[in-house]
Amino acid sequence: MADTLGSFEQAVLLAILRLGDDAYGRAVLSEVQVRLGRAVAAGAVHATLERLERKGLVASRLGTGTPIRGGRPRRFYRMKSGGVRALNEARAAVDTLWRGLEFPLKGHV
Amino acid sequence: MTTDATPPEWAERILRAVLTPTDFATVSGDLLEEYRETVYPARGQHGADLWYIVQIVGFAMRSVAVWGVLLGLAVVARTAFDWFVPTADFSVRSAISTYVGLGLLLTTGFWSAWRSGSMRSGALSAVLAAAIGALISVTAAAGMLALFHDPQTMKAIAGSGGLSEVFTLPITLVVDGLILGAIGGALGAAANLRLRLNV
Repeated sequence: MADTLGSFEQAVLLAILRLGDDAYGRAVLSEVQVRLGRAVAAGAVHATLERLERKGLVASRLGTGTPIRGGRPRRFYRMKSGGVRALNEARAAVDTLWRGLEFPLKGHV
Repeated sequence: MTTDATPPEWAERILRAVLTPTDFATVSGDLLEEYRETVYPARGQHGADLWYIVQIVGFAMRSVAVWGVLLGLAVVARTAFDWFVPTADFSVRSAISTYVGLGLLLTTGFWSAWRSGSMRSGALSAVLAAAIGALISVTAAAGMLALFHDPQTMKAIAGSGGLSEVFTLPITLVVDGLILGAIGGALGAAANLRLRLNV
């Protein structure tokens, strides 16, 4: 079984999945912010991407720069099979925890 | 709306100091793109500069957090020993804590400069690590004092230099960080250069 993913790691992996070929640092940051509905530090996303790559869940390659970036390159990320497996396991774990309960919860407090 | 405005140059220099050259290129590009396309049009020059600085502080703190926490824990451990296991002879404890602190600050400077290839990065990282360490140790000491202020503990505190030392000594670590980080940084930058020349 792969390492258990934290919720922020799941948010970043799902952003990479949604962005497809356009998954580079800033795009992932924007996608995560939209999905979580709050501002997120660029450093937090960068550190998570670095960790996910170290774990072998994503791979990256350098792209070309654009004028608005001052010509600096983009680093594009793509999911590896380990990343897909880890996301599936995370989702299955949550589903197991919720099985038999109605969502949203009512009358339990 | 986009702009060709640029964020503060000094902040970008800090980012360059705490990241590897490859990471600096991609991360600074991401930040510049976000700055120009999203933040500047929404918040204006000052708001965008502030956003940029906050992002840089986040990167800088993350890059040295481990060293800062280790340093803080070392100081807290020494404080706890002095308070709860009092002694009349501090020579062994002083030697151990001095060498541990010195080693951590030198290593922080070396590690950072070795990654980035910049000696200045070593000094900056050690200063930041020392600041984190000081914050942790001062906060922990205040917490311990709130919980343990019986006469026996207060006597042990007085015998080990007093409360003023507990709350001011960690702050002087920042100066130590500057000096030792520069030394470690010089060694780390030299090691980086040697590695690149060999390759």
